[in-house]
Amino acid sequence: MFILDDLLFRPFVGIVDTLHTMALSELYDVDALEDELKENQLLYELGERPETVYQERKAELEAELEIARDVHERLTSGRVEVKS
Amino acid sequence: MTNRYVYGIMADEPVEFETDAVAGADHVYTVSHRRLSAVVSNIDTTEPEETDEDATRHDEVLREVMDRDGGRTVVPMQFGMAFESDRELKNVLRGARPAFRRALNDIEGRIELGLKLVREEDTDIDDDALEDAVADELEPIAAQSVPNDLFSDRLVLNRSYLVERDDRERFDEAVARLEDAHDDLIVRYTGPFAPYSFVDVTIGAQR
Repeated sequence: MFILDDLLFRPFVGIVDTLHTMALSELYDVDALEDELKENQLLYELGERPETVYQERKAELEAELEIARDVHERLTSGRVEVKS
Repeated sequence: MTNRYVYGIMADEPVEFETDAVAGADHVYTVSHRRLSAVVSNIDTTEPEETDEDATRHDEVLREVMDRDGGRTVVPMQFGMAFESDRELKNVLRGARPAFRRALNDIEGRIELGLKLVREEDTDIDDDALEDAVADELEPIAAQSVPNDLFSDRLVLNRSYLVERDDRERFDEAVARLEDAHDDLIVRYTGPFAPYSFVDVTIGAQR
């Protein structure tokens, strides 16, 4: 449905481009990464995750989040080049 | 450091104290326009980076203000509000005066408390029944409450409550009763915080 909507509103964008854009959005899921950051914090606060594991995971997630936010910004500004 | 970093807005008498503040500052004071005062410290940028340490300091400064003189009311700002001069800040206080007044009225004499209920690993919880039990205990005491994100599969309930300072003890006791009644849950009860979840003041384009 969303693909169809996209194609109806943007008839010159190929289906490959649309699918690729959707795949990128899913791959760089900002909300999911933010949730995981919060969960990591919660489990640390509950004493279920040792500090070293917590810090390591936090650093990984923050780095992933920075990339994901950058990709999303580019997607919404149309600056991601999609090649088929 | 000529810029002003803002923690919150209040209507009471000005404050001034030394503490660990955002971006290495140690002096917190107020910039006033008519009867509104912005709680500020000096900072050398208008776009502070949100580190864990500075986010904690932002919150601790607000708590310190809230605890002064038997309990002050402060409209909290989100992290990162900084202005180039007192004049710019006073213009904001003037422009957003009605909104600040409304927010101050809404939270006068009230604090925010947070409750997260986390299920033990590999246990099943009847979410609806639990929600009802929590509502029965806490909603009659709270002035307002709002739900927050359930960001983990383990999280069964995540809410913020706006509670009169005078009802704090009664609310603590109600949370303790919930904890006693649910062995299969981990209770994470936090606060008091400045009532971030219950004010909605947007300043210009966030500066």
